[in-house]
Amino acid sequence: MMDCARYKNSILADPRDTDPELHEHRASCGACNQYTERLLRFESRLGRALRVDVPVPAAAAGVDAYAPVPAKAPFSGNVVSLRGKSPRRAAGARTYRKGWLAIAASVLLGFTVAGVLWLAAPGPSLAADVVTHMAEEPEAWRRTDVPVPETHLNQVLRESHLRLVSGAGMVSYANSCRFRGHQVPHLVIQTGSGPVTVMVLVHESASGPQPFDEHGYRGVIVPVAGHGSLAVLTRGGATDPAAILRIAARVLDSIVWTA
Amino acid sequence: MKDDVGGNQKRARFQAICQSLRPDLLRFAFWLSRDRALAEDVVQETMLRAWKAQDSLLDQSSAKPWFLTIIRREYARSFERKRFVTVDVDELIAKEEPMLAAAEEQDLAEIRAALFKLPDEYREPLVLQVLMGYSTAEIARELDLSGAAVLTRLFRARKQLRVLCGEDTSLDADE
Repeated sequence: MMDCARYKNSILADPRDTDPELHEHRASCGACNQYTERLLRFESRLGRALRVDVPVPAAAAGVDAYAPVPAKAPFSGNVVSLRGKSPRRAAGARTYRKGWLAIAASVLLGFTVAGVLWLAAPGPSLAADVVTHMAEEPEAWRRTDVPVPETHLNQVLRESHLRLVSGAGMVSYANSCRFRGHQVPHLVIQTGSGPVTVMVLVHESASGPQPFDEHGYRGVIVPVAGHGSLAVLTRGGATDPAAILRIAARVLDSIVWTA
Repeated sequence: MKDDVGGNQKRARFQAICQSLRPDLLRFAFWLSRDRALAEDVVQETMLRAWKAQDSLLDQSSAKPWFLTIIRREYARSFERKRFVTVDVDELIAKEEPMLAAAEEQDLAEIRAALFKLPDEYREPLVLQVLMGYSTAEIARELDLSGAAVLTRLFRARKQLRVLCGEDTSLDADE
């Protein structure tokens, strides 16, 4: 039988350990359960802290800059000299790459300008698409006190590399939905204000909280550092925007990213 | 002609892998080195090496660990080249302050600063586990350690980190 000290020792080393013995102890020990929840909250913040911003345009430039010169190109054979190079040659190679980086950067600048113009062009907003998606799954809005089976919930979340720790509320519906070309978790959480729909949009970024009120749905899209955004919706417009933001914050705090 | 098509496919495949992995590779290199400029250099060198050795990458799904291994080697080589003697953590934090503080929440900046203060042997397995999603066995393989040693380091890493972040650790287990 596992004791609390051994449990905490294991969980501190790997808070996501799925060992059934750990799970069993946690289920039977309130203190360890609370301890784990605190630890997982810290773990979630740690995950976000590790995801420092990286320069995205440089990524594309980098690949092109290091991609090989075609076999017939005049620089063939001189571009990548990795073994036994002297510091001076290394510096030369770096200067050469910097030249390529500069060229790639100008090309990227062009792409960026085009991208900005493209993004600025009128098109369906993210909020509008989320609302449209809601209309396709009306059964999700039932008010109920029956939680979705944990195995099913975990499976839906696992596909998007996340899981929920307690704190978000009871999840009564979970489905992996096709949205803008990607599979995303679509959850319904029962709250004091009624059912609230949550969509985890890993592939959709947001620059800041975007409240919306469209076609009878009121909600907010909030950015999630390193993981796109999160959409939270209520139906009927009875819930005030501040309460929706609080629900979104609570859900975010309950998410543990696993990749 | 056939060679050109094959070469283009190879190049496109390599570019796709690099583009999808580069953000996490940069993050990993950054936490390894605690130096953004060095991290970028290490990732650049890594990609060059990876391109030259790409035929040894038989299974595309193992690209991430393959790149990480190269990054670790490249980072070790950078030590050989530059011969770092001592590291002043406060200086490092001051130098990377814009990156560390570029967080929407103040407490993330605090965690980042605390991560800088963790010893390398604790920080690296922690980053592999939390950021890269490695299992204990995978970390053990990458760092050439036993599973028990990895768990001990992870335990100590979290314990120290939580202390540095001012978390209540009174209920933590003793080693």
